[in-house]
Amino acid sequence: MPTAGLKTIIALSFVLAVGFLLVILSCALWKAYYPLLVVATYVLAPVPNWICSHCANPDDFVESSGAAVLDLGRFCTGFLVVMGIALPILLAHSGIIAYPAMVMSVIGGLLIYGTIISFATFFQEEQDF
Amino acid sequence: MSEDRLFKFGKPQWLNSVWARNAGVYAAGGLFSLGFYILLDSAVWSAHRNPSDVHVTFVDWLPFIFSTLGMLIINSVEKSRLSADSFSYSGSGVAWKARVVLFLGFAALAGGMAGGVTVFVLKFAVPGVDWPAMGMGVENLLANAAVGLSTVVLWVSQNMEDEYAYNLAL
Repeated sequence: MPTAGLKTIIALSFVLAVGFLLVILSCALWKAYYPLLVVATYVLAPVPNWICSHCANPDDFVESSGAAVLDLGRFCTGFLVVMGIALPILLAHSGIIAYPAMVMSVIGGLLIYGTIISFATFFQEEQDF
Repeated sequence: MSEDRLFKFGKPQWLNSVWARNAGVYAAGGLFSLGFYILLDSAVWSAHRNPSDVHVTFVDWLPFIFSTLGMLIINSVEKSRLSADSFSYSGSGVAWKARVVLFLGFAALAGGMAGGVTVFVLKFAVPGVDWPAMGMGVENLLANAAVGLSTVVLWVSQNMEDEYAYNLAL
């Protein structure tokens, strides 16, 4: 685990701000506020994993229901991550938002999600497996 | 473990890692999401910029619903109960029940895919719908294919988990 200090926090918050800027610009420039859903999606994406990891005991190999709950969480997270990319493409394909807005919201959403993920990995509390 | 191998080429070692299995489960979720949003795309496109008279109705959603149902059933069955020669758990016909439920699941999945092809043929191919509207039928096919692929990926990665647990138990 790499050591994370003040510079990491500053860089991550900067990237997060750029991501939000892109998403909000993609909404406000064309006055169609559907791409804001991308932000909600990516904020919700780690939640199933988090909930299911608290419900299950992954070291329990005798009765494998614990692993099944973890898998359910991973499945939902994968669903939400692809949803964040698929939703702007869908909206642009149907002419609800413009294509540049689609590109901006996809890039902004990926930046936001990348920030959340790298924040979680950098500042994870040390836990013994 | 290596004695009862059937094929000449064994599975590569990295396939049994936790990493590969988790990636498989994430990919299954992503594929399912892809299928769902492809179909939703066809519905939204049909409502917003459809130049033709053909529209997406409940009939187009029905194959996807069946595929999803099949996927849920297939992946809810506990795989370790399937083998009848497992020394425990086969007492009161659990393996038999598991096979029946699994058969229902595969029937629903295959029925969903066949239904997708049926909708495509009867609604789009035979009346000769022109191309931009034809895309809705193709998207229906793609959505069902993605759900089927997601089922396969999830099944394989869950079986991987069994091997992993076996390795760890040894």
